[in-house]
Amino acid sequence: MSAAAPGGSREPRPTGVLRLGRREFPPGQLVVMAIVNRTPDSFYRPGVTWDPAAALERVHEVVADGADIVDVGGVPARPGDEVDANEEIRRTIPFIAAVREAYPELIISVDTWRHEVGREACAVGADLLNDTWGGWDPRLVEVAAQAGIGVVCSHAGRLPPRTRPFRVSYDDVVSDVLNVTLSLASRAVAVGVEPDRILIDPAHDFGKNTWHSLEITRRLGELVATGWPVLVSVSNKDFVGETLDAPVDDRLAGTLATTAVCAWLGARVFRAHHVRETRHVLGTISVIRGDVPPARVVRGLA
Amino acid sequence: MRHLVDGDALVLMGAALCPATPLLHPAVTGRAVVLPELRAACACAVKQLLTGEPDTVVVIGPAAATGQWDPFGRLDPSVFAPGLPATGHKLLPPALGLGAFLLDQAGYTGRRHLQAVGDDEPVGACVRLGRRLSGTGTKSAVLVMGDGSARRTMKAPGYLDERASAFDAEVERAVRAGDLGALQRLDQRLAHDLMATGRPAWQVLSGAWPGPGHDAEVLYCDAPFGVGYLVAYLRPPAAFIPPRAMYRPGCGANSEHSAE
Repeated sequence: MSAAAPGGSREPRPTGVLRLGRREFPPGQLVVMAIVNRTPDSFYRPGVTWDPAAALERVHEVVADGADIVDVGGVPARPGDEVDANEEIRRTIPFIAAVREAYPELIISVDTWRHEVGREACAVGADLLNDTWGGWDPRLVEVAAQAGIGVVCSHAGRLPPRTRPFRVSYDDVVSDVLNVTLSLASRAVAVGVEPDRILIDPAHDFGKNTWHSLEITRRLGELVATGWPVLVSVSNKDFVGETLDAPVDDRLAGTLATTAVCAWLGARVFRAHHVRETRHVLGTISVIRGDVPPARVVRGLA
Repeated sequence: MRHLVDGDALVLMGAALCPATPLLHPAVTGRAVVLPELRAACACAVKQLLTGEPDTVVVIGPAAATGQWDPFGRLDPSVFAPGLPATGHKLLPPALGLGAFLLDQAGYTGRRHLQAVGDDEPVGACVRLGRRLSGTGTKSAVLVMGDGSARRTMKAPGYLDERASAFDAEVERAVRAGDLGALQRLDQRLAHDLMATGRPAWQVLSGAWPGPGHDAEVLYCDAPFGVGYLVAYLRPPAAFIPPRAMYRPGCGANSEHSAE
């Protein structure tokens, strides 16, 4: 872990509006971030949006299904063939430009750890840098600050990009998540990122075994209590698979159950493959929480 | 503000009939606008009721028992929709609370008399209660909160009863024809079986009404969820109304909404 010194501010921040692009999301308005991979080999449905036309079609679908954000990634999280910065740029930047042209108001996030990619993405209209590998490249957040866009501060368990956890242990995984993400958020503020554009993400499965991911889910309220908007990315991940002994194409119910728990505990942004189903889960939880009235109620009241 | 007491006498300026369905209250129906035509019809009926500037509005609504309620009371929508903030007002039986809500919506701030009539009150007691509320002297208007059968369709709260449509049709006929006396012939047992909860309130109205005949404007008559909803504004025969308090048109081109 190169960037985050331990001990970010533990003073809770007042929960406030989240700003992304030109949009504002008050607390209680849950946000869906749709995953759009520009890779031939991501873990879930590998290669399905490798073709640019298919990827743009995916964007049309997720927008129609209610996504607020698309998260474009050019490098799989898992180890595999080397993807250098130039190749990552080739995979993502022309595509981001095309999405921006098609959807001037859609929030575009870029899943990258590299500041070179981040800089190019800002130039074509990205709104958010999703730094999944937890500040590995300390210049990435500076790019976000210079462009006036947002950043996701993640806990990757001090692992280099594209590495798997190996016998990872924590005295207390939640404390470590808090230390790392709050340090990253403090640094983002210090280098000039607008605080309302900063999110924290415990990063399920990144530098964590299944027990760790379950623990951060169970105790997500401790992250929420910091006041920073919490993003969760649980969709089809291995901790869901190991929880249910379910292969990657059979994890939707487990994903949605986890999504519901995170929403109940106060997460605000949900990175997802299944946008429509996620929307329905979040719509349900928002209503159960009482943040939003139900759509239409007549039964028993006639 | 004071309560009406026995011996106070009323000149009825008119009556508005509205259903006592919680669906009238937007707070309980969620994000969607539910039954906008019904809500508009009720607002229109109440607006017309207030056009003659009554000094008291008597709200009549069915409840568990006959009695008079605090005129400052209001509906607390959270009794139907827990999770809504409580209003802090004294609670009313829902039918009276919905009547109070309609008056609030219309901006009425004058004197209120909130009269509950027991669900099982026999016709004789209802009519006597109506007569007590009527007479001469005070310029009053009546807002009657009552519903037809809740057994109009298979999807109705009480499932379908084949007799329900005829029961509701007779109420509609009596209202349209200026024959409120016919409401006294509504059978209590049948009304009970048909879940026609408006029966006692309508019979109170029948007892309160100053004489045979009236002009009726039916603004809504339908059963969109299997419960008979009738919205109407009634004016007594001209002879019973002091000239200065004659009806003035209220809601403009509000066309009648009719069912099926």
